[in-house]
Amino acid sequence: MRSGRRLWTQLSRDKGGMTGFIIVLFFLLLAVGVWAGVLGQDWSVANGGRWESPGAEFWFGTNLLGQDVFQRSIFSVRTAFEIGIVVAVLSTFVGAILGALAGWYSNTWVDGTVLWLMGVLDSIPFYLFVAAVAFALQGNAWAMQLAMIATFWTTTGRLIRAEVMKIKSREFILSARAIGLPDPLILTRHVLPNTTHILLVQTSIAFVAAIKTEVILSFLGLGVHDGVSWGLMLAESTQEVLAGHFGNFLAASLMLFTLVMGFNLLTDALQDAFDPKQAAL
Amino acid sequence: MSKPVLTVRNLRVSIRSQDAPAMAVDGVSFALREGEVLAVVGESGCGKTKTAESLMGLLPTDTWDVQADAIELDGVNLPMQNEREMRKIRGQEISMIFQEPQTALDPVFTIGNQLCSIYRRHRNKNRKEATLAALDMLQQVGFADPRRILHSYPHQLSGGMRQRVMISMAMACRPRVLIADEPTTALDVTTQAQVLSRMTLLGREFGTSILLITHDLGIVAQYCDRVLVMHAGRIIEKATVHELFTDPQQSYTRRLLAAVPQVRTA
Repeated sequence: MRSGRRLWTQLSRDKGGMTGFIIVLFFLLLAVGVWAGVLGQDWSVANGGRWESPGAEFWFGTNLLGQDVFQRSIFSVRTAFEIGIVVAVLSTFVGAILGALAGWYSNTWVDGTVLWLMGVLDSIPFYLFVAAVAFALQGNAWAMQLAMIATFWTTTGRLIRAEVMKIKSREFILSARAIGLPDPLILTRHVLPNTTHILLVQTSIAFVAAIKTEVILSFLGLGVHDGVSWGLMLAESTQEVLAGHFGNFLAASLMLFTLVMGFNLLTDALQDAFDPKQAAL
Repeated sequence: MSKPVLTVRNLRVSIRSQDAPAMAVDGVSFALREGEVLAVVGESGCGKTKTAESLMGLLPTDTWDVQADAIELDGVNLPMQNEREMRKIRGQEISMIFQEPQTALDPVFTIGNQLCSIYRRHRNKNRKEATLAALDMLQQVGFADPRRILHSYPHQLSGGMRQRVMISMAMACRPRVLIADEPTTALDVTTQAQVLSRMTLLGREFGTSILLITHDLGIVAQYCDRVLVMHAGRIIEKATVHELFTDPQQSYTRRLLAAVPQVRTA
């Protein structure tokens, strides 16, 4: 669409954005490494003693069961990315479709229904909603993701609805109708592509939000059940920190902090780079 | 005298409203003859644009009420057609260009992409044939290097170039009627001349009748055959261009002509 090269030049001039980009890229490589079976494979092996101190063999020490904390924190990158990507892509997709329909058919029953649905979902306290979904889908590994998608799409939906209402009154939509294009084609070919800047930024925001939410939910015992995540590590650490073992706590919070900060820097830079008002300068 | 291509009888357009309906167009009748350039002149808000949009069937029916005894295009009564048939007629039989070339093209696609999609949709051409037809069409509206234009995005072109692209899109299917709604108001005078002469030239070549909406009497004098003068939703005078400038019948027309600033040498 808008030329990728210009986007890149703008991004590379932004120091914060580049830092964020490099951090995200680094974490992405870690995740790929875990997927490929190269990194963090020994996360569940208990080959050390209980609560060993950080050292050459175990960089962040070991936990209660003698598992390597560093290996666990690396494997958690994969958990975070899997949840982040699934939730970000699907929630943005749902938000784009429903938001576009509401905006295109504004002031009709379609719009009314979508707005009503958004209102209902937004009015339920989030953690209560997740707990309810998790309870309803007992044991289902996707309960957490489903709950996040069901609530995250509303923000994107509202933004897209407003943008579509703006775009549909622009003259190129009128001229598309004047040359005889049917409505569905205008919506998919000319309206939605004009909202890509919002969709990209919303995807990256949803990604960070999903990772943070996963940590909180896992900490509360509503999230990841099989496998490991930073949230589970933090939950373990609540007992350990009092006893003076900081391995789990430090490893999980440092990783989470770095990734979220890197992603926020990147998102900010993307937002600036995509802003049509700036691009016009 | 050549036969009429588009006949409009007693067109009425009003805003749907709880209290008294406001008439934007109040009983307009006229005939557009084959191959002619017919001007519609009048001040802002006199109903020129609403007349054009109602002919195209582009006014949203929830806010606008359009009624007419007849809008006949080559003997086909347009208000009797359903939306599917209207889509076939729009772009193929009757098409329209708008005032603002800045916003009339989709900013995220290349010119080639947008122009080719017309050929593919209305003429069932494949990608290669559509590209060739698009190149040819761009050449006809006066681009020396159509291949570069084809790969350009709208923001890379000037206002005059964009308006010529719009003309090429509107004329792509050699329509019977082209409605041009103040096509050059947003352009400077030299570009204006270039765009209008291309448009009228193509019209003559393709046998397309042009309904040119404008408030610029200089354009009327130079490019049009006949004139309709509109005021407050009605046509108050019909005349050939020559008659209008030499012998205006209505006092409103005379005032309109007098409102054009003149350069006088003392």
